[in-house]
Amino acid sequence: MTFNNFLFIALPYIAIVTFVVGAIRRYRATGFKVSSLSSQFLEGRKLYFGSMAFHWGILAVFAGHLITFLFPTATLAWNSNPVRLIVVEALAFTFGLSVLVGLTGLFLRRISNPRIENVTSRMDVAIELLILAQVVLGCWIALGYRWGSSWFASDLSPYLWSIVKLNPQTEAVNAMPPVIRAHIVGAFVIIGMIPFTRLMHFLVAPFHYIVRPFQLVMWTWDRKRVRDPRTVWTQHRPRNN
Amino acid sequence: MEKTHNFVCFVRGRNTPLPRNLQTPSHRELHSKNIFGFLVVAGLLMGVPTVSADESGKEIFQQRCSACHTIGEGRRVGPDLAGVGDRRSEGWLLKFIRSPQTVINSGDPQALALFEEFKMVMPDQALSDDQIRKILSLIKETGATPGAPVTMPEPAQAQPAEPVQPVPQDEIELGQNLFQGKIRFANGGPSCISCHHVRNDAVIGGGILAKELTTVFSRMGGEGVRAILGGPPFPVMQAAYKGMPFTDDEIRALVGFLQHADKEHAYQHPRDYGWGLFGAGAGGLVVLLGFYSVIGRRRKKKSVNQDIYDRQIKSE
Repeated sequence: MTFNNFLFIALPYIAIVTFVVGAIRRYRATGFKVSSLSSQFLEGRKLYFGSMAFHWGILAVFAGHLITFLFPTATLAWNSNPVRLIVVEALAFTFGLSVLVGLTGLFLRRISNPRIENVTSRMDVAIELLILAQVVLGCWIALGYRWGSSWFASDLSPYLWSIVKLNPQTEAVNAMPPVIRAHIVGAFVIIGMIPFTRLMHFLVAPFHYIVRPFQLVMWTWDRKRVRDPRTVWTQHRPRNN
Repeated sequence: MEKTHNFVCFVRGRNTPLPRNLQTPSHRELHSKNIFGFLVVAGLLMGVPTVSADESGKEIFQQRCSACHTIGEGRRVGPDLAGVGDRRSEGWLLKFIRSPQTVINSGDPQALALFEEFKMVMPDQALSDDQIRKILSLIKETGATPGAPVTMPEPAQAQPAEPVQPVPQDEIELGQNLFQGKIRFANGGPSCISCHHVRNDAVIGGGILAKELTTVFSRMGGEGVRAILGGPPFPVMQAAYKGMPFTDDEIRALVGFLQHADKEHAYQHPRDYGWGLFGAGAGGLVVLLGFYSVIGRRRKKKSVNQDIYDRQIKSE
């Protein structure tokens, strides 16, 4: 009982406080290092598919969890039509698999490429393994305890809200199967680890790029010389590589 | 060679934190202080009781036990509890009520006999020893005054045990629509398929978080099912329907549907959703990856300096 209280009452608060305090401290102390060091410069081919599959997947999956947490009644209303329920679950599982495949690829790339290995910290490996485990559990839950969108809305949403309202109600969570409990604990551990890992980068996502004015790129070569058959320039613009 | 060395060093630059002598003292203390603070908070939070301590035995009994047990009114889903304090020791009862599955697994003969008789395991109860003792003393008091059984407000009591009768078709349909959510419950509770599966062609494959309900009617009888719907004894179901109880009509329709599903289940061949869902996910992933390769077809395929790097590694 006490151990359950630790996992589902104390740990969430510890995680949230660590996240908030830690993120602020890290940003104030070393604000310019709040990012995930890009390795596209070192290896780009495998990065593309891994990163696209992982990031779009995790955005969709996270949005799904967030929407169900924020609007449980609307989720249940949406799921009341069996076809809509199946569509939502299939889509969610698709993006879950996308995260799993993308992250596995990224992890293999990180440990197999010597250039990437050299910019990898131990914390990068730790958090990647942790998220990988979390995603495996998530996919397992989607298949093994299906219609998770519905029971999340009716059981876990109230639990999470009870945490928010500082009046934790953990009886339902305590009675859940171990896989689901592990997924919940994993989620809070990851939230608590954000300030100490590269996950910080999602807090500084460059949304202003979306509305940023165009940049005018000027080329300094002489157009006339480029077209002159006696120079080595071809008709085509040189590509970067 | 000098140049190559510098270049490789640059490429292999480590993402290391500030050296310790460059960190401010507050930096170093940050972790130890925070961890200490959180341990204090954790200690405070672990003491938070999940159930209020001043509930009376009767309240707890109504909430947790009365769906399946009576005191002196005969057996329902589980045994009649009148005189249970004389039949079993208090230590055994405390252990069993907290986690019947554990006791059964330990090979306890009394627990095994109960399991044989009732064909189901009582769910674990998140109750403190104090709360269980309150229930036991309630059972003792009630049992001591024969002829005055505790009357619990119970939807099941409105309908005395009747022989199994055929259910009208419209009630079955209502039950099946309620079960899979096409008709929402009046008080806003989630539909049954969120967690339960029933082998029936008329509804989609239900959830597998909770027990399959195909044969629940023959296992528990109409009264047992009604009692559980009237006041769910399972913590997960309790939380899901907190403040959103079923109406009497809904309970009648659901029991009707379950009775029908039980009778018909041998002739039903519903679709299996397990592999279907996996296949849909895998197919969707292929589509996604195709989409990524289309939108990224003009991306830069290798890093700017890849050729230089390869050349220099070769000449090293």
